[in-house]
Amino acid sequence: MSTLTALARAEAVAVGQAQRITTVRHLHVADRPLVFIPLSMAGEANAPLAALVGTVPDDPRLLVVPQPRNRDQRFGFAAELAEVLLPYLDSFRGVTEAVAANRGKEVRYRYVDAPQVLVPNSAGIGFVRMFGRSTRFRRTDGDYPVQPSVPLLGQWLTFLADRAEHPGSGMLLAMTEALGLHWATGQSALEDAHLAALLAWIDPADGLSGADAAVVAEDPLRWPPAGPATDPTFDNEMLAPAMAAYQEAVGSGDEVRRSRARGVLEEAVRSQLGPTWELMWRGVSLLRELPVGSRVPGRWAEDRDVFSTFTLYVDGGGYPQPRRDGAVNAAQRLHRLERALQSYAVQRAYDDPLVMADHRLTGEAFVGEVTLADAHRIDDSGKRRVLRPRIQVTTGDVVLVTAGAVLHSPSRPGQKARVVFVTPDPASGRTDVVLELSGGLGRSLSPAPGSVPEVGDRLCYTTLSDSFMPPGEFPSREETPWTHGGPPKAYEEPVEPSVDDAREEWS
Amino acid sequence: MTSISMGTSRTTAERLATIRGGAKPKRHNARTIAALTRNPGCARRAVLDTAGVDKQRLAAYIDFPARFGQSGFAIARGNAFEAQVKASGAAELVKLLRERLGLPIPEVAYDDLETVTGREKETAEVRYARSRALLLRAAAGEDGAGTLFDHPLLGLDVAGQRVYLEPDLIAFQHEGRFHVVEIKSFAVVDGQADPGKVSAAAIQSAVYVLAMRQMLAEAGHDPEIVAHDVVLVCPRDFSNQPTAVLVDVRKQLAVLRRQLGRMTKVEEMLAVLPPNLCFDLAPDADGVPTRAPEALVDALQTVDARYAPDCLSVCELAYFCRAEARGCTAALGTSAREELGGIERVETALGLAKGELTPADDQAEAATLLRNAARLRAEVLVAAAGAAG
Amino acid sequence: MEALERRIDALRAEIRRSVVARDTARTKGLRAELRIAEQEWEQAISDLAEEAGDPPPAAAGRSSAGSLLPVREQVHHALTLLSVPAAPKLVAEVHAAFFGAAAAGGLAAGKLTHLRRDEKRSFGTAPYARPYYLCAALTAEHLAPARGLVAVSTWPLERRIVGPLSPRVDFLTAAVRVAERAGTVPAGSSTLARLVWRFASNIPGALDIAGRPDTVDPVTVIRAAEAERVVHADADRAHRAAAAERARRQLDQVDQLFGNTLRTLPGKVTRRGGAVSRGNPTVQEKTA
Ligand code: SF4
Repeated sequence: MSTLTALARAEAVAVGQAQRITTVRHLHVADRPLVFIPLSMAGEANAPLAALVGTVPDDPRLLVVPQPRNRDQRFGFAAELAEVLLPYLDSFRGVTEAVAANRGKEVRYRYVDAPQVLVPNSAGIGFVRMFGRSTRFRRTDGDYPVQPSVPLLGQWLTFLADRAEHPGSGMLLAMTEALGLHWATGQSALEDAHLAALLAWIDPADGLSGADAAVVAEDPLRWPPAGPATDPTFDNEMLAPAMAAYQEAVGSGDEVRRSRARGVLEEAVRSQLGPTWELMWRGVSLLRELPVGSRVPGRWAEDRDVFSTFTLYVDGGGYPQPRRDGAVNAAQRLHRLERALQSYAVQRAYDDPLVMADHRLTGEAFVGEVTLADAHRIDDSGKRRVLRPRIQVTTGDVVLVTAGAVLHSPSRPGQKARVVFVTPDPASGRTDVVLELSGGLGRSLSPAPGSVPEVGDRLCYTTLSDSFMPPGEFPSREETPWTHGGPPKAYEEPVEPSVDDAREEWS
Repeated sequence: MTSISMGTSRTTAERLATIRGGAKPKRHNARTIAALTRNPGCARRAVLDTAGVDKQRLAAYIDFPARFGQSGFAIARGNAFEAQVKASGAAELVKLLRERLGLPIPEVAYDDLETVTGREKETAEVRYARSRALLLRAAAGEDGAGTLFDHPLLGLDVAGQRVYLEPDLIAFQHEGRFHVVEIKSFAVVDGQADPGKVSAAAIQSAVYVLAMRQMLAEAGHDPEIVAHDVVLVCPRDFSNQPTAVLVDVRKQLAVLRRQLGRMTKVEEMLAVLPPNLCFDLAPDADGVPTRAPEALVDALQTVDARYAPDCLSVCELAYFCRAEARGCTAALGTSAREELGGIERVETALGLAKGELTPADDQAEAATLLRNAARLRAEVLVAAAGAAG
Repeated sequence: MEALERRIDALRAEIRRSVVARDTARTKGLRAELRIAEQEWEQAISDLAEEAGDPPPAAAGRSSAGSLLPVREQVHHALTLLSVPAAPKLVAEVHAAFFGAAAAGGLAAGKLTHLRRDEKRSFGTAPYARPYYLCAALTAEHLAPARGLVAVSTWPLERRIVGPLSPRVDFLTAAVRVAERAGTVPAGSSTLARLVWRFASNIPGALDIAGRPDTVDPVTVIRAAEAERVVHADADRAHRAAAAERARRQLDQVDQLFGNTLRTLPGKVTRRGGAVSRGNPTVQEKTA
């Protein structure tokens, strides 16, 4: 946590309401997101109990597993979920746009929109991952056949869960994290994981302070936990009797009794899901109210790219993702994630002065006024005469950069600024920084109009660079060194699921 | 470790009894002992736990009920899985131990220590005596002394109180070592499990290792023959098939030793507390505690707490302590508190940030940072508001 | 009716609060109230159903399809096949695999305790009146009933003694027996294949068929189980024999079958055993 965020938390305590920690929204919010709230059965490995799912606030679909330990019913749930999710995914496969690829030598197509799935919290993402794992290896033949939609659902859920790990991706988001990215509450991060309490701070009920509203929101009888875990007293006092009654009704062979018992059970789980459903859509509209950051569409375009590529893979009958990554794949993936993390952090700072302020506080960036400018300065010390304008920026920020460092300005991408002198003035507390500019000046020896800042301009300079980071080099998979386990094993590569995979016991 | 019980004098015991009031002391178990290692710096919890006060009831009575509790489904599943692993002379476990520990084929003897005589209500002392006898016989290397000890009862002195602990199973390799076996029903999927659950199991198992080592040491055996690797048995993937992993609990052992050692120093904590301090929850004829909740709250406030958000998942008094800690930076989490320069109160931090308070000497550095932060935040927000409006 | 439903909901919420507050007395009271309210609701709904002319809901507890044998005979069949004392779960699985599914689920551990107590009573009233009794296995150390195991009274005492090695030996014996029988069943069901596989997977060498690690061959299973059993057999046999000898000397007939639980006041046992003689039908109704 940065000092500025901590300060915002302190302010939230004093004011009694959550405080903004960004000036813009750093996430894409889809026009038609799919909200998915899963509940799982306590004590079982990711056994679905129920879910509320849908794209329209007043039309949630309730899925229920009356006997979660029953294997067939679990796959029945998977098939029902597939009935909602797969058509949703398909609905984005209409219009494509052309994008230049391979330095303009080729053209590739991507969909103009992509799916976005919203779950309440990070445990919800965990559910998606695990449910993907437990369904993608199922087979439609042999022992325990499942409907064809089930393994397909598994591949997509796995895909989404992988994207959720990718910094800056918006295809699968946890609402608590999406909100927490933009607001600081007057409670701890641990408590922020509780969706109702978090929203209570952001948008407290009339007349209540955030703290009091959060306490009310923590009462599981008023605001059931947002899943996937259920409240233990709900399990013991409501769910267990309802399940037992259902079981008994099934045993009695009496259809009227059975459907009545199922109704009771559905009501019970609906009572746990309904409140969270409301909260999710409240979260969506709160996020929508924020102005969107300028680099958000670029990141969403990347999501659309990845979505388009994966649809091709699936259409081509691609095998399910492996259980574990092999050494080379794992290293590549890690590298990819690191790059994404870095560029996401830079992009947010470039998009948002409040995020940049974190870097100003630590001396990695400063904002100041141009006090001198020599736009036509020519450097003739080398073989060739080159245009190297110099400007002096005067700032009240802490400046920790030293001569020789290369800086960038978010408002002038493509231009580098090398630090020539740093002269602090202890009396005024201000610092003069002289910068030498290169790039983005035009082709001649005199600068293109507007390409050099003028005296009086206010500018931000930072060590953060948005420029392209070259991908690392890795051995091919077949050449994985033995120190890294040698070439990948079967379970580390996408393969056709074996009979064993499909038979893998489900308790 | 061995002399914990000696450290608690009679007067201390009397004072602890006063603190507890008329109620029976709440007994520790591996889980509560494990919980002690979280937030070890809190005197309030140390005093209440040492005295054996029922914190859950106390918290509920003063209207800050803790939300701990287990789903019956989880309990049932846990029991069923353990029963399955232990069925037929722990056949599934034997297979796993042969694979993981290289247990030789002849070593399969199984002793059920859950009951001694088949009677329903056996005292802990009887069970402990038999467990001790069998385990020591194995330690002494006697022939045919057994391999698998199902639900033995171990003893550990916690602040002068004898606590009986019941590990799921202890395995002994002839001429080798004892291994604590912990059976948990959370899944290990593709070799990975919920880290929170694994670490909870590790610390709980460490309590058993400690108790077992203490017992061996007291009987003159080398305590180190109890392995610091415990065997964690969990269902694999989404099946019921068990899988075993070895978990190194050395770190947990060190933490536990330190915390249990601290509890012997309860005298020091008691010395600064009012002599009539009492959390008596003894009920009247209607089952309602006779003391008013306000009196109990007053009593609680005389003992220093050290609230951190982590308390919410480990201590029954957390909701009370959290309410008490409102306005403290610690309530925002450790890292927030650090970023605010370690300043204790939120209003102090804000006062320094706005330049309304003059920093004390040790606050100077923090104050500069906070002022800078506040200036930047204000500058950007004003600009943003201007741009939007 | 709606008022009743609201009341039920409110009671449930109150119970959840009082459980959290550890208020046992209050929880108990609330639960009692809830039960009454629920009964009233049930009554109201069946009244409604009758008014609407629906047929009354079918009576619960109709026997389901499958084996119609009384539970004790099902247990006896399975145990005879296994030839060693076994836990109810295994008994149920064996029965399901060889004789059909009826017993599965009907043999919860609690029911077994009940069954054993019933058998003991019956034996106390009229010893050896039945051809066999379902009785206890005895711990070698205290000759007490071994936890969670059922045995058959007609077996030699040695077979019902459980020493430290016996669970393993019995497990291997059971594996041999199950594999032998599985070999004779023409086209084994998948439940049976699974059962054999489960035994085999816990015996070294029992699954070793070159190239096909997941197939079970009964002959291989038998060979592997025997190979391990030999390792433990002698020590186990000696242990059992000694304990059985002790049991014959020290225990009366009842205790030899059902274990030595109350070493003091033996008179009380007889009296109690004689006074109450509920027959088996109760159990059968609940479990069949
Ligand atoms: S909740 Fe309170 S008593 Fe418990 S450890 Fe935290 S501060 Fe101490």
